[in-house]
Amino acid sequence: MLGAGLREALGAPALAMAATFLAFGAAVQAAGVGLGWALAASLLVYGMPGQMVLLAAIGTPGGALAAVPGAVAANARFVPMAVALAPWLGGGVRRWLALPFIAVTPWAMAMRRLPALPAPARLPWFLGFALTSWSVAGLSTAGGHALAPLLPLWVLAALLFVNPLYFGLIIAAELRAPFVRRAVLLGALAAPLGLLLPPTLALLGAGLAGGSLAFLWGRRERR
Amino acid sequence: MSGDDLALGLLVLACAGMRGAGLLVAGRLSPDHPFVRWAASVSLATLAAFVTLAVVAPTGALALIPLSGRLLGLGAALAVLASCGGLLAPLLAGLGGTLLGSVLG
Repeated sequence: MLGAGLREALGAPALAMAATFLAFGAAVQAAGVGLGWALAASLLVYGMPGQMVLLAAIGTPGGALAAVPGAVAANARFVPMAVALAPWLGGGVRRWLALPFIAVTPWAMAMRRLPALPAPARLPWFLGFALTSWSVAGLSTAGGHALAPLLPLWVLAALLFVNPLYFGLIIAAELRAPFVRRAVLLGALAAPLGLLLPPTLALLGAGLAGGSLAFLWGRRERR
Repeated sequence: MSGDDLALGLLVLACAGMRGAGLLVAGRLSPDHPFVRWAASVSLATLAAFVTLAVVAPTGALALIPLSGRLLGLGAALAVLASCGGLLAPLLAGLGGTLLGSVLG
């Protein structure tokens, strides 16, 4: 089952990861920061919004240290994602193997696939998918760092846009489920709220507002 | 260790802590538990808000793509998804649409 997850990660998810992390690697190089820092950010933080917040702060008067709370807030979606994923990974200590890999891409695909798999196959599937995505992220970061001088800005921007496109496709493919439809509709409607908040809190604020309302809407319909 | 390295180290620890907190809290709950369903709803809504903001009101490098490029990319991706299914072909169509829209825009 490890192999099944691995194979599934090599299609569209790998393209989305490669494009995004390639652009990140190039941005790190453009900021004059070394490959070691870029790889540590991609492989150990493994959450693009927080990585970008920290990178943008390097060289500013406050420096990267002052940006840490903002970067943490930008990646705070890890908490609800881990909560939603945990019950599908089994109850033993082995589920902690999944910890470093909980990020949007593995989470989104796992929430599609894991419910249909038998319980013993779920964690291996997730680890196969997640390890592949994580490896692609590292390799792409290194590639982007090396290729930065050759990539024009508009190409980098288009590569970064592959990430929201991919997530848009994942949620569009799942819209038949009423639970997903409600969360997506209210999340999209709550997005302008994010514009009123500090940028690092924008997504978390919109997600909390839209997601909580969608949850309450679903409970009301169940009664 | 420089300030940039220390900042990265702190962010790594915080992200591991957030992931660990989620696994710890929900590890013994069922997928149908209200708290787990609420968390899944918040995660999906966050994703939807992320996509919406990236298309309608992008910041940073994404803002370099003209609106026509973003809309053409999203439209092409969704059109191929509706007609062919899968994810790879729609994603490639979306990237092509974005690049075309960027050039034309």
